[in-house]
Amino acid sequence: MTREADIDAMLLQHRVQSFLFHEADLLDRWELNEWEALFADEASYLVPPTDVDGDFADPSKSLFYIFDDRTRIHERVVRLEKKGAHSEFPRSKTRHLVSNVLAEQDGETITATASFAVWRSKDGNTDIFVGHYAYQLIEVDGALRIAEKKCVLDMDALRPHARISILL
Amino acid sequence: MDQSLRPVVDETRGIYRVPRRAFVDQSVFERECRAIFDKCWLYLGHASELPNPGDFVTRKVAGRPMLFTRDKEDKYHALINTCPHRGAVVCRERKGSSPAFQCMYHGWVFANTGRLMVVPGHAGYPADYKEDPGKQLSHAPRFDRFGDFFFVSFAADGEDLATYLAGAGDYLKLVSEQSAKGMTIVGGTQEYSIRGNWKLLAENSVDGYHAASTHSTYLEYLKNANGSTHDTRLAGFGHDLGNGHAVIEYFAPWGRPIANWIPLWGEEGKREIEAIQQDLTARLGQERADRIAKQSRNMIIFPNLVINDVMAITVRTFWPTAPDYMEVNAWALAPAEESEWLRKFRLFNFTEFLGPGGFATPDDVEAIEKCQVGYQASREAQYNDISRGMLREGGSAYDDELQMRCFWNEWDRRVQEYGA
Repeated sequence: MTREADIDAMLLQHRVQSFLFHEADLLDRWELNEWEALFADEASYLVPPTDVDGDFADPSKSLFYIFDDRTRIHERVVRLEKKGAHSEFPRSKTRHLVSNVLAEQDGETITATASFAVWRSKDGNTDIFVGHYAYQLIEVDGALRIAEKKCVLDMDALRPHARISILL
Repeated sequence: MDQSLRPVVDETRGIYRVPRRAFVDQSVFERECRAIFDKCWLYLGHASELPNPGDFVTRKVAGRPMLFTRDKEDKYHALINTCPHRGAVVCRERKGSSPAFQCMYHGWVFANTGRLMVVPGHAGYPADYKEDPGKQLSHAPRFDRFGDFFFVSFAADGEDLATYLAGAGDYLKLVSEQSAKGMTIVGGTQEYSIRGNWKLLAENSVDGYHAASTHSTYLEYLKNANGSTHDTRLAGFGHDLGNGHAVIEYFAPWGRPIANWIPLWGEEGKREIEAIQQDLTARLGQERADRIAKQSRNMIIFPNLVINDVMAITVRTFWPTAPDYMEVNAWALAPAEESEWLRKFRLFNFTEFLGPGGFATPDDVEAIEKCQVGYQASREAQYNDISRGMLREGGSAYDDELQMRCFWNEWDRRVQEYGA
């Protein structure tokens, strides 16, 4: 690899990593409108079930936990800001840990993967969601935007978790 | 059983109260295991989960590890997944296809019919050892199907499945008749749990009364996402189906991937939905077709099978492991011949409302878990009230509590019959 290619890879790595850390920070501070603004106009947010191969499963052919298009991402945020979203009122405390970030640029699209562990605490219970993210990122007006975020749970089942009412 | 653990009922005065201790008491839980889960017909799986000979799925039913198989003669088996030698489960995969299962402990091999085929080092045993009935995989004491729905019972005796299902059978048919080619379980299982008593989910699954308050954000979302053109109001009836089974049948404002077109599906979708309804009418007649296509149904088959034929079709079971904890499994059921386009919207619909990531189920979970918290004061605040609609004339509205009373009457009968 040339020195220039090395530097490009480092810059990409740094840029993607900063973007994912920023996203995690927004979620933990419950800045959901800012979080939503990270998504491109055509975007999806997906959480596959745990009994299929989450990296390859297709939400139009297999039952998922979450299968959001751009409209529904917006509506999810609208809902989570309401007191009537009982499962998140009072709100959970969350902590998103993101690591093992790998990024690759392929033309306009950046493919990134990362490991995650998300702690959710509410009413005396703490549930941990463990898995990996698969992102498709694109550049819009000089900024990174999420075209697809898939959260693949590395768990046998969503137990004892009763819900994914937070954003992973 | 202690009278204070039984419902208090006065039909003429419209009183039906359920003691909250029934949700927290360890002895009640243990009685339920024996009187209900050891006796009733329990849902095992759907034929479509074993599409080919040799296919199998493993599943827990009333705490027992089960192995649901289809042999090469197309016969189905409900095997208990434990080696007769020393007890290890003989199949450790969730699902797959295999003519035989080898226990990893001492290497015994069983056919998918349960027959013992190979015992390593057989010289140490008598010649006819392999044929001993006690050395085969055990079958569920009773195993039967209603259409493509398979059930087991761990009681050797009792009424047959069709008799047990009573009026619920016709509702299982209503779901099955949506397809001319058979219904299929779509891949992907929602598996979660709730920190609450299992009877709370039985109640919640057929509770029309909580929709407006628990699910206000969902109803607002429908308006936002689909526009205001679709304005069907929630309205309908509750029915006692016998033997503890009950259903609410009602009109609702959400799209159904068999009827109830919504703007989100576009003009092309409208034509496809109309064609489906025409086929349905030609096949089943106007009245039944309209009922199948236009109305939503939430049904509970006692004790723990819920079929919700709503914005999508769910098949859901929930198994208590303690008074305050249950494991929930949910599948999506769909017509096998459904187009890719419509299947996509069905699954989009399913995840919209249903399951741990939906816009409604998490709030049901919150309600159930918060009831369970409230029941910690069950010695001071003793009763739930499920009397709504008891004195209403002209039938039970979909948002009355007849369904819960059907469930509790059967619960009480079985728990009492079990003896002191």
